[in-house]
Amino acid sequence: MTERPYWIAAGTVGLGALVLFKAAQLPQFDQYAHIGPGFLPSAVGAGLVLLGLILALQIRRGVPFHEQEAEDIDENHRVSHGALLLAAMACALPMLTMQPLGFILTCAACFVLLTAAFKSRAWVLNGAIGLVFSAFCFWIFGKLGVDLGGLLPLAGV
Amino acid sequence: MDPVTGLMGGFAIALQPQNLMWAFVGTLLGTTVGVLPGIGPALTIALLLPVTVYLDPTAAFIIFAGIFYGAMYGGSTTSILLNTPGESGAMMTALEGNQMARNGRGAAALATAAIGSFVAGTIGTLMLTFLAPPIAELAFIFKPQDYFALMLLAFLSVSVVMGTSKVRGFIALFIGLTLGLVGMDKASGQQRLVFGLPDLLDGVEMTVVLVSLFAIGETLYVASRYGSHKPNLNPLAGGAWMTRADWRRSWKPWLRGTLIGFPIGALPAGGSEIPTFLSYTLERKLTRHPQDFGHGAIEGVAGPEAANNAAAAGVLVPLLTLGLPTSATAAIMLAAFQNYGLQPGPMLFINSGDLVWGLIASLYIGNLMLLILNLPLAGLWVRLLFIPRPYLYAGILIFSLVGIWGVSNSVVDLAMMFGVGLLGYVMRVYDFPIAPVLIGLILGPMAEVQLRRALAISQGDPMTLVSTPLSAVLMALAVLIVAVPAVLHWRRTRKIEPLAP
Repeated sequence: MTERPYWIAAGTVGLGALVLFKAAQLPQFDQYAHIGPGFLPSAVGAGLVLLGLILALQIRRGVPFHEQEAEDIDENHRVSHGALLLAAMACALPMLTMQPLGFILTCAACFVLLTAAFKSRAWVLNGAIGLVFSAFCFWIFGKLGVDLGGLLPLAGV
Repeated sequence: MDPVTGLMGGFAIALQPQNLMWAFVGTLLGTTVGVLPGIGPALTIALLLPVTVYLDPTAAFIIFAGIFYGAMYGGSTTSILLNTPGESGAMMTALEGNQMARNGRGAAALATAAIGSFVAGTIGTLMLTFLAPPIAELAFIFKPQDYFALMLLAFLSVSVVMGTSKVRGFIALFIGLTLGLVGMDKASGQQRLVFGLPDLLDGVEMTVVLVSLFAIGETLYVASRYGSHKPNLNPLAGGAWMTRADWRRSWKPWLRGTLIGFPIGALPAGGSEIPTFLSYTLERKLTRHPQDFGHGAIEGVAGPEAANNAAAAGVLVPLLTLGLPTSATAAIMLAAFQNYGLQPGPMLFINSGDLVWGLIASLYIGNLMLLILNLPLAGLWVRLLFIPRPYLYAGILIFSLVGIWGVSNSVVDLAMMFGVGLLGYVMRVYDFPIAPVLIGLILGPMAEVQLRRALAISQGDPMTLVSTPLSAVLMALAVLIVAVPAVLHWRRTRKIEPLAP
């Protein structure tokens, strides 16, 4: 990849600055252990700022960024932003729907969105498979003692 | 307790019918995730944590051990038959193994890989049996500064060795350290990086970070760059089994691979990639059939496969004796120990001897089960790869949601899943290593405790951090690990400069 992703360096510096800012509100030293609760966060924050700056320098010098290898990916690493958006929606959806709609409906919707991201357009079939699979997981993991919440919390079930 | 008595007691536990069943479940799951893309042993153990909380710890660790070893076998099967290594440690196997399969010798390649894995796994477990107790004894004399120096060495070596860029390795480590800082400070009770969210007071859940980085990050990455390849199985499978010449050419690489794999696996950041690569290079140098390399040399399968499995046994040495995880899978196993209120280290051998020896004994049993499961059934396992990818990845997402939502029914965890998943995606696109994040997250708080303890004992004298011989040596090693590659790089660039016009 030949692009220059300065935004990653900026993000690293930003995260470091945030950690430093929050650490500054805590005592850096204490009498007993000599290292207070703010000491390590300060050190980590400063480290992130420094590393972000070094990364920016490396990017300026043109250091290459090669995408990692994985199975099932296009040989030329062609990116489909539509598929990425659909997959991201599938991963973000539970934040909004898990509490009101419950595990089964949320997971079935995630299933449909993610299969669509993988170029499967059989919406109804995928929805049905997602619903059955989610219900099976809800039942079997419930039996194993995992609490996955109510069946349909919105309806009080 | 001496190792032989301990091991006998361990076998008495591991051979109980229900534990045998758990070992079988573990090896079955391990082989499955070794074959499948997008899901590895670390992720599987993370997803199982909420379920296994309800099991007896011995049973849970017998399952985890089966998954840990089983994934190695599954990875080699797909490497050989389909040229798709399911695990990073199986990459070298694919080089020669797939060539052998193409030449109609797939069965021999699978056999040497499985038997080599069995030999190395068994010898590695034997070494673990006899080395772990004395190392655990040694750990009793470790002072807080020694532990701190050891963890510092683990941090630096993981960041320097993994991935292509040291800076990116360190950024990954520092992100992990930041995540590890979140929550209530155990010494002072002060809130750190909590941002007013009560869900974060207990800290960031290891399961949430691991599942998000691996499963969600990988799913986003593969979905955005998805290229459908139909597995091309039939022409590769089958062929003649190992001939007498194959046995002759295999047994030495098995032993050499074991001797390379075990110690490197036991080192911080040793992992499985370096020993498999070293074993392949060594076999290529020592072979009497150099012309075969690149066209299906059996030594090139036997050595790396043995090294891979011996490294897996090696990883358990620092984990069980010092509580030091050196790979992503070891990090999640440490988290699993902590879930049960157990702290790996010297006291584990005394307080939970049954568990440790049961676990070690189950490694022997699991190895045997894996040989039986994999040798005749290899052709069946690869059929798992025919699961349509949309359903495979959607299934992984639902399992991830079980793992994350099942931990504490927290929307903050779901938000973190999305955020850390996006981070995992960016890390894949811009080639940041992922393991340092986990090592930082799990070892960071432990290192802080040891640092505070050392300074409290010495009344704040920072020189205490190098005051014992061991801490001084480990600190020196830590400095060398960072300094030597930097100096070498500087010398190389200085030599090149005068040549430039």
